[in-house]
Amino acid sequence: MGVFVRWLQRTFGMAKKTCPVEQECLELLRLMLDEQATEEESKYVHEHIDKCYRCYENYDLENTIREAVKNKVKNLKVPPELVTEIKNKIDL
Amino acid sequence: MGKAKNGYSDLEKRDIFNNEFMVHIDALYNFAFKLTLDEDEAKDLLQDTCMKAFRFIDSFEKGTNAKAWLFRILKNNFINDYRKKSKTPGMVDYQEVETYYNSEDGESPVEITTDLRSETIKGMLGDEITNALNSMDVDFRTVIILCDLEGFKYEEMAKILDIPIGTVRSRLHRARNILKEKLATYAASMGYK
Ligand SMILES: [Zn+2]
Repeated sequence: MGVFVRWLQRTFGMAKKTCPVEQECLELLRLMLDEQATEEESKYVHEHIDKCYRCYENYDLENTIREAVKNKVKNLKVPPELVTEIKNKIDL
Repeated sequence: MGKAKNGYSDLEKRDIFNNEFMVHIDALYNFAFKLTLDEDEAKDLLQDTCMKAFRFIDSFEKGTNAKAWLFRILKNNFINDYRKKSKTPGMVDYQEVETYYNSEDGESPVEITTDLRSETIKGMLGDEITNALNSMDVDFRTVIILCDLEGFKYEEMAKILDIPIGTVRSRLHRARNILKEKLATYAASMGYK
């Protein structure tokens, strides 16, 4: 989707061009990635990033940061002795 | 905290605690650690949270969203008892922070000028991402944790944090801008390109 447009934009140096709706689009695409956007909002974002390289880049970066936070930030397991202590205190 | 309305028997209380609460114990511990950034404080915070959850178990409606209910207790505990002594950089009041960022037409504080590329993020180590997240003000860090790590929806976050959904949305938006900025600064300082 939009590969040709993106190639054109990249090739002819249009990638750095600003987008007049960049901030609105960023907000909407974040909603979309959070699965909180309406169907209409998602449709708008998809159609827009298909032809706007600037916002496509934002989308890609947002998605990557989210995945990095989700997958690379270490998750800890509660120490078993703490669970025992808690259960003892509550008298379970 | 809600009113005690259910009047569970001791057996029911144990059943709820063991079957509905304990499944979230790792997530709660993680949340406690990511708020306090200190292992001992995280342990105390978790323990306090569990004691409170058990004490007020009658105000929990069996079979409802236990995870959000527990996260809310933990977050309130943190604000009341840990925040003051916490060594984290985030000592600023919610309201103060919001006013500060809202003063600039409600837009993000600064335009991100650093060219952060997704390839750079992909090359970063877990510790580097974690450091960027931990260096954020605790209020902003919290919304990222709840949304991205724990997968809560805005509505649940609003209940956990006692703020309107609109505020969840705008705080998250700002938090994402700040995180991106931190990552960009970090990448630049490390010579990533
Ligand atoms: Zn655009």
